[in-house]
Amino acid sequence: MESSVPLNINGKTLHVMVDPAMPLLWVLRDVLNMTGTKFGCGVAECGACTVKVDGRALRSCVTPVSSLVGKRIQTIEALGRPDKPHPLQLAWIAEQVPQCGYCQSGMLMAASALLDKTPKPTDADIDAAMTNICRCGTYQRIRVAIKRAAGVLPKKDGRGDGPPQARPAPLGGSAAHKVTSVGARPT
Amino acid sequence: MKRRNLLLSGVGLAGALIVGWGALPARSRLGSGNLWPQDLADTSIALNGWIKITPDGGVVLAMARSEMGQGVHTALSMLVAEELDVPLGRVVLAQAGSDAIYGNVAMLVNGLAFHPSELQQGDKPAATKVRLNQWLVGKVARELGIHVTGGSSSIADAWQPLRLAAATARGSLLGAASLAWKLPVAELTVKNGVISHASGPSGHYGQFARYAASTPPGNVRLKPRKDWALIGQSTPRKDVPAKVNGTATFGLDVRLPGMLYAAVRLCPMLGGSPGALNANVALAMPGVVRLVPLQAWAGSTAGFAVVAKTWWHAQRAAQAVPVDWRQRPAGALDSRAIEKNLLSSLVQEPGHIFHEQGDVDAAEAAASRKLEATYSAPFLAHATLEPMNCTAQVADGKVHIWVPGQVPQIAAAVAARVAGVAQEDVTVTVTLLGGGFGRRLEVDFVAQAVRVAMDCGGQPVQLIWSREEDMTHDFYRPMAVARLRAALDAQGSVSSLSIQSAGDAISPRWFERAATALSSPFDMPDKTTAEGLFNLPYAFAHQKMAHAATRMSVPVGYWRSVGHSQNAFFSEGFMDELALAVGQDPLAFRRSLLRHLPRYLAVLNLAAAKAGWGNALPAGQARGIALHESFGSVVAQVAVVSLDGKLPRVHRVVCAIDCGTVVNPAIVAQQMEGAVVFALSAALFGRIDIHDGVVQQKNFTAYPMLKLAQTPQVDTFFVSSQAPPGGVGEPGVPPLAPAVANALYQLTGKRQRALPFVL
Repeated sequence: MESSVPLNINGKTLHVMVDPAMPLLWVLRDVLNMTGTKFGCGVAECGACTVKVDGRALRSCVTPVSSLVGKRIQTIEALGRPDKPHPLQLAWIAEQVPQCGYCQSGMLMAASALLDKTPKPTDADIDAAMTNICRCGTYQRIRVAIKRAAGVLPKKDGRGDGPPQARPAPLGGSAAHKVTSVGARPT
Repeated sequence: MKRRNLLLSGVGLAGALIVGWGALPARSRLGSGNLWPQDLADTSIALNGWIKITPDGGVVLAMARSEMGQGVHTALSMLVAEELDVPLGRVVLAQAGSDAIYGNVAMLVNGLAFHPSELQQGDKPAATKVRLNQWLVGKVARELGIHVTGGSSSIADAWQPLRLAAATARGSLLGAASLAWKLPVAELTVKNGVISHASGPSGHYGQFARYAASTPPGNVRLKPRKDWALIGQSTPRKDVPAKVNGTATFGLDVRLPGMLYAAVRLCPMLGGSPGALNANVALAMPGVVRLVPLQAWAGSTAGFAVVAKTWWHAQRAAQAVPVDWRQRPAGALDSRAIEKNLLSSLVQEPGHIFHEQGDVDAAEAAASRKLEATYSAPFLAHATLEPMNCTAQVADGKVHIWVPGQVPQIAAAVAARVAGVAQEDVTVTVTLLGGGFGRRLEVDFVAQAVRVAMDCGGQPVQLIWSREEDMTHDFYRPMAVARLRAALDAQGSVSSLSIQSAGDAISPRWFERAATALSSPFDMPDKTTAEGLFNLPYAFAHQKMAHAATRMSVPVGYWRSVGHSQNAFFSEGFMDELALAVGQDPLAFRRSLLRHLPRYLAVLNLAAAKAGWGNALPAGQARGIALHESFGSVVAQVAVVSLDGKLPRVHRVVCAIDCGTVVNPAIVAQQMEGAVVFALSAALFGRIDIHDGVVQQKNFTAYPMLKLAQTPQVDTFFVSSQAPPGGVGEPGVPPLAPAVANALYQLTGKRQRALPFVL
């Protein structure tokens, strides 16, 4: 039955009147109306519902809120602030990562947990940590964006070096597409 | 050379009607300002059906296309910003009204079945036929005015009318400034939405909008290519910032006061229905409000919905209900039986001949050697990451739906039908789509949401499918089989190619369930299942392609790149077999057959050059190549593959594309990267099996997706073109599976003739 469950979400303790068995995802979405965290599969397979709990990536669709009392929950809503986006968010913009965008909250939270633990990740670290599903296939850009945010992007054309600043990134980012001879610009 | 003329035979039915009406010029798609919804609080000024100007000089664009990741909101805004000379950031979007000017003409015109040789310059009778058909269908499409985002057609469709609408608005704004300043319009310039004259006067669009609304635009001309500042530039997408901070609103993110949530449970057996069910079990559970039976709306399977205060409560209760599910009356569907039936229909049913040239029978009779192979592809689910959902409110005879959908008018029509109201009493709000891929061309979930909302006393209700419902009640990519046969002449060259394919038709079924009013009483030949087989570019002297449209009763739908998605695998795999048979390099073999089609040849050559075709690779790696045209664009891919235990490992895909004029190269590159991942997931893992009517794959655990660690590096290159834009959302999908399969043959010696791959 329902009871008051104290939850520390994004630095604030909320006493939420819910069934303690209710997964965090649905408490966030349908009780607190925090819709940034997404529902994808309900079985902890796709990672669209990823949040951070005590700094580690956690799939909220199968995690009852009763197990989260006394822990620090962070959602996409608090990854950065409008006036001060997280370096990963800036890198995501610089690399133009999202397509439909539905998986990206979970991707960013998973990437954030990775960088918390491994500030300079290798490709193998990224492979192991980023197991979320992106149906649009933005993985290639996610890899580059994580490296950009971590400041481990190899120097290329004098850009992509160091963590991103709040200035406009090179258009199209440092992802590998090459525009060799676009007919639209004869020059 | 005889070719079956698909369209004219179909249109012949209504020929008499069309002759008189057809002589009239196509109606303008400019539209007038009164097409915008009336809003007294709105201080902006509409200059036509597409463009409004805000008091501070910003531009509001009527948006009739859905953003599902393909970047269409950005690309269409770029066309407008270019012609109006405003920064892209000054263009904001408002959902378009329901008028036919916003309908998608290009998608229907692209549905015509032409052979590449007919589209080449120089063949006069063919060119006349092509133009006539395109003009006729264009007129029909213009009258129908169907708002649809699909068929990789949005840019091609908007290319002329949207730029013209912006240029017309610009003409009126300049005209108004000219009148106000009493200066010749030719001496005025525009920069960043500010009109100025060398003598000093200057003012932004907002200052002239009111007068511009009644000022003729003068002689409207589109900006010449050499003056483009935005088109052709890799401009950042407008939708990205909201998609990295959780504020982007998908269908699932709609929140309304007093909103309830509904979970659905449909009969697990496709086409079946619930017999006795004990609703009290659900009603006794906490948070549950009601249970609503659902009939088989819009092609779906029947079942029920449970409404509760959160979706978790609703879903838990729906799962708890004991139900006596009934198999469909015609008997259980089974994908193994369907495959057998398809293979036998390859032999028994001649099907519709989509293309024929020369004399295949004679060539085969004279052959020194014949090659034959049978290829197959399974049913596939779309598996958009955002599951099917729709929010609906039914109150006082009015319906409002909030839907992540590709067909808003059709959603409104089905909502009206379900609720028993006029379509004018339905308001549709289109949200962002968490993936579409063709699944959201359907409206089954819309009908369900409206039906549930009718029982909710005016409260809004958000109906959400679980992943399991989404995967087991999709409209699947049809299972398909093809038999390809080639004859080699005495010199050892391939003289003929004959292809027989079979699979369910998609379009007639879609019209029946979704656009019933336009449905035909009998099935006309459906290009969508035969595309990519009947229109191969290769110059074989004798060719015949026939497709038998079957009816296997599994709900089938449009899946990203539709028929091309499996047909390129069939045709380009067989092309590799033929290259081997004639002892030629696969690239050289294709080149030798494409001399008459320079566009295809250029794409093939670019991919091969960028991939270093012929250069040595590290031990254990091999290259495969494939070329395919779809949705007006030609794509070639070279895949570098090795073996990683039981799975192929794709390291790199070089992708070359000719999609005509490129509006935003960065978005095209994104689409190519995404298409490779989408197609590789299907080629490695994708199959839907149906046993006893039940789809066996119920979640991503059994229907896996490629993940980051398995993703190849995709490099995209463009062939320069000044032709009008072609599609980019789908054309990257078809060549991937054959390119990888052809590389796998190098590694294993085993020809992959079925999807997904089995090593």
